Amino acid sequence: MEHGPEILALAGLAGVAAGILAGLFGVGGGIVFVPTLVFLFAFDQLDAQATSLAAIIPVALIGAWRQSGDGQIDWRAAVLMGGGAAVGVLVGAEVALRLDEATLSRVFGAILILVGGEMIVSSVRKLQAKRATPAPADGPRRP
Amino acid sequence: MDLSARLRQGNLLPFVGIGVVAGLFAAMFGIGGGVVIVPLLMLVAKMPPRMAAATSLAALILTSLIGVVRYAGTDHVDWLGAALIGIPAVVGVLIGIRFQRRLPAEWLVLGFGVFVIVIGLRLVIWG
Repeated sequence: MEHGPEILALAGLAGVAAGILAGLFGVGGGIVFVPTLVFLFAFDQLDAQATSLAAIIPVALIGAWRQSGDGQIDWRAAVLMGGGAAVGVLVGAEVALRLDEATLSRVFGAILILVGGEMIVSSVRKLQAKRATPAPADGPRRP
Repeated sequence: MDLSARLRQGNLLPFVGIGVVAGLFAAMFGIGGGVVIVPLLMLVAKMPPRMAAATSLAALILTSLIGVVRYAGTDHVDWLGAALIGIPAVVGVLIGIRFQRRLPAEWLVLGFGVFVIVIGLRLVIWG
């Protein structure tokens, strides 16, 4: 690959942004990696997805290591989900060949919008409830 | 039932199920598993938001490794390209976690909701 410094700088910025999303929300960063590789480096879709997976490895490793130090990881759950996902990917690849992917994508997108909407509504409600009944001050209350 | 109670009872099946669903969607729609894993961990396993995000990241170690192994032997993986975005992303993940530590759980869920809606809109609009 031969690219100017501005392309490399943009790739670096996109990488940092992907990492921040990964650390905050527990996603891998592929959602940023794949379009970055396609638009900046003119990768085709398959190369971009495969390369994105490779880029996720150090992010997941270092991120999990840091979160583990904070006692935030349930390793048994993680290993079981990883194993389950390996099976799911094989089945999903078969299903994708047989079904109309564009329609499926729209249905799945709609589900995500509903899930996201529910998360926003529930968290806003909790924030409002917090505001209505302010948290007790730190330490024991004076009589 | 909360997660610790599930684990004490040895009921680990929900996690395998979440993984299968995440893998299915990942293969069918080309999205990462985290978008599916995090909401399901909160909904099904009743995990607190931060732990759900952290545990999802740990599961992605396995899924990304398995994914790369599947492509091994083909020339689809460009290691230089992966390093150019992956190494800055390691810096990003440390920033993200630092930020997450200070963020109240409600704001984390709110932000995740917005993030999920953006991905949903992208899928609905571009298929």
